[in-house]
Amino acid sequence: MAPLKNLETEYPIIDSTFRKFCASHGIFSVEDFLIHDLYMLAAFVEQDISSERLKEGITQVLSIIDDMHQPWWNGMELLEDAKRNKHVLPTGIQGIDLLLGGGIHIGQLTELVGPSSSGKTQVCLQTASNVASNHMVLYIDTSNSFSPERIAYFLGKTIDVASAQAKNQIVQKVMSNILCHSVFDIFAMFDVLHQLESHLRYQDGGGCQMRLLIVDSISLLISPVLGSSSTQGRALMLSAGYLLKKLAHQHNLAVLCSHFKTPIHGFWEGCKICDLGPALTG
Amino acid sequence: MNNNSINNSRRNWQFSSEEMGSHAKSWLVEDETAREMLERVQTERPFLLLPPLHRVPIRVGNVVELTGPSSSSKTHILIQAAITCILPKQWNAVSYGGLGHSVMFIDLDCRFDILRFSELLNHRIMEAGSSCKVGCHKMGSEAQFARMKHYNEELFASCMKRFLYIRCYDSSEFLATLKTLHYRLQKEREAHGLNVHLLLIDSIGAFHWLDRVVNMQQGNFGLTCRKSWHLQNVSEAVVQEIRRLLLVHPMLVMATKTVFLGNKYSKALISASHACDGYKSSFLRQQVFYERVKTSYETINHFVSSYGNWPAADNPYSRNVTSTDRQLPYRKYMPAVWQSFVTHRILVRATDDDSVDDEHPNNSVFLLEWLMPPVNSLDKFTVTDTGVFILS
Repeated sequence: MAPLKNLETEYPIIDSTFRKFCASHGIFSVEDFLIHDLYMLAAFVEQDISSERLKEGITQVLSIIDDMHQPWWNGMELLEDAKRNKHVLPTGIQGIDLLLGGGIHIGQLTELVGPSSSGKTQVCLQTASNVASNHMVLYIDTSNSFSPERIAYFLGKTIDVASAQAKNQIVQKVMSNILCHSVFDIFAMFDVLHQLESHLRYQDGGGCQMRLLIVDSISLLISPVLGSSSTQGRALMLSAGYLLKKLAHQHNLAVLCSHFKTPIHGFWEGCKICDLGPALTG
Repeated sequence: MNNNSINNSRRNWQFSSEEMGSHAKSWLVEDETAREMLERVQTERPFLLLPPLHRVPIRVGNVVELTGPSSSSKTHILIQAAITCILPKQWNAVSYGGLGHSVMFIDLDCRFDILRFSELLNHRIMEAGSSCKVGCHKMGSEAQFARMKHYNEELFASCMKRFLYIRCYDSSEFLATLKTLHYRLQKEREAHGLNVHLLLIDSIGAFHWLDRVVNMQQGNFGLTCRKSWHLQNVSEAVVQEIRRLLLVHPMLVMATKTVFLGNKYSKALISASHACDGYKSSFLRQQVFYERVKTSYETINHFVSSYGNWPAADNPYSRNVTSTDRQLPYRKYMPAVWQSFVTHRILVRATDDDSVDDEHPNNSVFLLEWLMPPVNSLDKFTVTDTGVFILS
């Protein structure tokens, strides 16, 4: 919540008279404008001496507010963006690809749910190895379950090149496309995600693009905070969900989260939930 | 000369008073009779009967709230309404039965699937086209088929352009959208001549839990005039903005709200919550802390919560309810300012019944219940590729 004073350098109309007027109505920052009634404010402006300048100030603030939300799209633009950017990434596991209609979708948050030892980490590793051949993958590991040997094994099965040296080279190259971060609490995950967001915003379009984000497993980060008796835990979980959805949509990533046991109702909106229990064990 | 001017002014005054007199008389002459007014209002703001909401006629200026547990086709009903709105009434001698107006979709859940939307729109266009063909003439030549396809594509493009979409990732973005919506609507009207008829909000309660926590009171210094970023203030601001918008741009507002169908709630659960572990109890815990928060943070005025007759459903995760359960309680968790803003309320839920209809063997059946105004029947419908199909 930056004070209005900071806007003066960029927008000289927001000068001290305007700020004084706003302060008299209890408005000290742009966020305060959002919860105040702007029409009432405009009515007060009419009664003030320097009403013209104040009105210009309010119009300027409205245009600042206009930049604070996402852009409006129409249906055709959305559809084109979906067709151009939001492809499907095959996981390499036939059953799951069939279930999900080709693989995990870019722009969406996919959640793997299952009891412990049902193979969720294996699915994550297999997916990472499959996608890393063409794109970069970020693997957020919360339970020290990331295994480079396993990934090398998966790659070894799919690459059919004669010489061992060439095979090795390909494996090296693909493995270098997978970035693994170990996080052990939800705040560290927020840190990693914010860094990722700023990196993706400023990266150029060339080279190998990041297309997959795996969080294995997100329940280990959320259950400690959810256990407390305040609203903070739920709010943290929701914020994490929204941040992942934002990354998925704006930067064209597919997000894959693995989750222990039954899904928590209502909080992971926006996911395609596939319960692996019966598929893998039964 | 003075006299003249005085005479003039007196004459002017007399003239103006006569004018006022006739003016006053003209106030008493009626503008239109009640019947004429009814006819005018019905043509300008007709009643909409959108399936599956066809039991109660809704019109522009109403605020409809669709409540239900997750995955109960609420978003689908919104999409259905949107498609009906963007399709034209008639195009190229084919009747589509739509309204031909624009739709604004504010996605707070951020889970809208445009590909599914476009599929449904295409299906509707093809269905209307094919039903007309049967009536008119057989689709004989290739050229006719190609022309039909071209017309359909044109219609599809023009309909999709009438669908306006925005995502909001938190309350401040939502409020910023609402505050600038008036200018956006004016711009659309001037640029494309589009009139927005429908405002859809997917999940009005999406930021409820986030707003309860975020309490940016830093720098308040005890200033009573400064409003803090508090759930109550945010909801009031949202309702106020929508209300103002409806004054200038009359629209029908439809909002979804996810609720959790309730379980037997007792004091024993409060103490039991401490002993619970694992996710199975997270549902119970949220009921518990809701109660605690209610007493420690907010006053009762802020939340309208009611616990009616709770059916003895043992499984807290069951979203399937048998059709005999009429009195289904759920938590109304939105603040009172939103509750009083809503004019129509509907509860949708999935059922365990398999579809009895042979045409749609594998689709789940949903139950729709009108809570406000209360209607004594339940509607059953199922969701197919072409949209919503009413079963009873």
